[in-house]
Amino acid sequence: MRKAKPLPAQDIKPAPRQAGLVLDAQLHLLDRQILDVDGVPVTTVDDVELSGPAPGEPIPEGTEAPHITALLTGAVLGTRIFGGRPPSSRFIRIPWEVVAGVDTVVSLGVRANSLDASWLERWMRDQIIAKIPGGRHDPE
Amino acid sequence: MKRLLGVALGILTAIGGFVDIGDLVTNAVVGSRFGLSLAWVVLVGVVGICLFANMSGRVAAVSGRATFEVIRERMGARAGLANLTASFLINLMTVTAEIGGIALALQLASGVSYMLWVPFALIAVWLVIWRVKFSIMENVTGLVGLSLVVFAVALFLLKPDWGSLASQALHPSVPSEEGPGTYWYYAIALFGAAMTPYEVFFFSSGAVEERWKVKDLVQSRINVLLGFPLGGFLSLAIAACAAVVLLPAGISVTTLSQVALPVIQAGGQLALAVLILGVVAATFGAALETTLSSGYTLAQFFGWSWGKFRRPAEAARFHVAMIVVLLAGVAVLATGVDPILVTEYSVVFSAIALPLTYLPILIVANDPQYMGKHVNGRAVNIVAFVYLVIILVASVAAIPLMIATGAGA
Repeated sequence: MRKAKPLPAQDIKPAPRQAGLVLDAQLHLLDRQILDVDGVPVTTVDDVELSGPAPGEPIPEGTEAPHITALLTGAVLGTRIFGGRPPSSRFIRIPWEVVAGVDTVVSLGVRANSLDASWLERWMRDQIIAKIPGGRHDPE
Repeated sequence: MKRLLGVALGILTAIGGFVDIGDLVTNAVVGSRFGLSLAWVVLVGVVGICLFANMSGRVAAVSGRATFEVIRERMGARAGLANLTASFLINLMTVTAEIGGIALALQLASGVSYMLWVPFALIAVWLVIWRVKFSIMENVTGLVGLSLVVFAVALFLLKPDWGSLASQALHPSVPSEEGPGTYWYYAIALFGAAMTPYEVFFFSSGAVEERWKVKDLVQSRINVLLGFPLGGFLSLAIAACAAVVLLPAGISVTTLSQVALPVIQAGGQLALAVLILGVVAATFGAALETTLSSGYTLAQFFGWSWGKFRRPAEAARFHVAMIVVLLAGVAVLATGVDPILVTEYSVVFSAIALPLTYLPILIVANDPQYMGKHVNGRAVNIVAFVYLVIILVASVAAIPLMIATGAGA
């Protein structure tokens, strides 16, 4: 990930507080793989949740610049392909506080099992795979 | 010494792993109808797969990202899903063909109908995927698959007119009894058989499975650059055997036993036994690779945990997906469709889908964000661009030719 290049002094506008890393949400976040603290894949990024007024609402003077509050994932491929927006309850949030780094992958600082985003994986493990003999053993 | 052994093992498994049911059938069909006049396509295909496998292996080793993660990131959800659907269906077709291939080889060995062998093949493939370590799986099937060298031995025993074989290969022309449409249709089929996309999914995911780092790239390059061309020679030997025995007899290959005919004529029962061993190993290895590839593509697209280095419980959706794929493949075979026919279509559809995987890999191999200083060199990019054109032309021409020639009939 590239750090923002220093600009000549006269070009510098008042910097937002969260500055430091320039991310293009489309390019660097959307559809990126999310790995947990042990490097286990969790899911991919489908959307981001931003702070601040909702789209269309008037923005009062002095409002803070919006920042990412969560990465969103879930079974939303349908609306991503055919357009429209599902109700926000369809998304599973991964709060931005647990994100440890953004590189060619988004890495988290917590284990996948502690997240709602891994429920289907855990469900398939507990209901199907773990019940087949050998499912919990290392390959030999 | 240990390192040398490692290199030798890698090359040998690359040779044995190169040939699958698609190469076996397509080369024999082509040999029996066109002699060696399409040998040049095998050459073009082998250079292509070397280039492509090297690139995807390098992307995986440097960035740690396997092919389909890259495809989704670069193409986005919509185009990525279209790509996944196409790649997955072709993969499923190949899984079906390979399992059918195992069963047909066992039928050849036992005389018991292949239909009865299909469930056994299914269970054996699944058990290996479920329990056996990646490296063991690769090495055993690759080494046993080397018995297909029997085609080369048979070719020598048949004492062919080498001069005429060489002139067929070096001065390619469309045989008088075939039209140019069928010639080019089979050229695309042969190209698709050599460059099947699943090999690339498998190669790049395998690099992640075996935790390749940049320093392992030299060895992987040796494996690919020596192993695949030697595998290509094996393909040519299959075609040449068919050209020597089946073409003059006017037999065009439609069954696996016809593929074996030249070998039986040259070496009798013993050669047949070796051949069957080789075919079982090659198709079994390819069935494992294609099944895993279906799991890899799905898991990488959706961001699931995947890999044989994990316990099945730690990659639950990956393993469930592969079980479903195997059952789907067997369900297709249960309809009684001829596995050889499935194979012939699968290689052509592979050629059609090639640009879908080739292009994203080429783009990422040039992206310094992923690759740092290991981006493609200038020479590689020139060759890669030439291949992009070849792949696009083959992909676009395949369907019209399929319709015009009645699928090569």
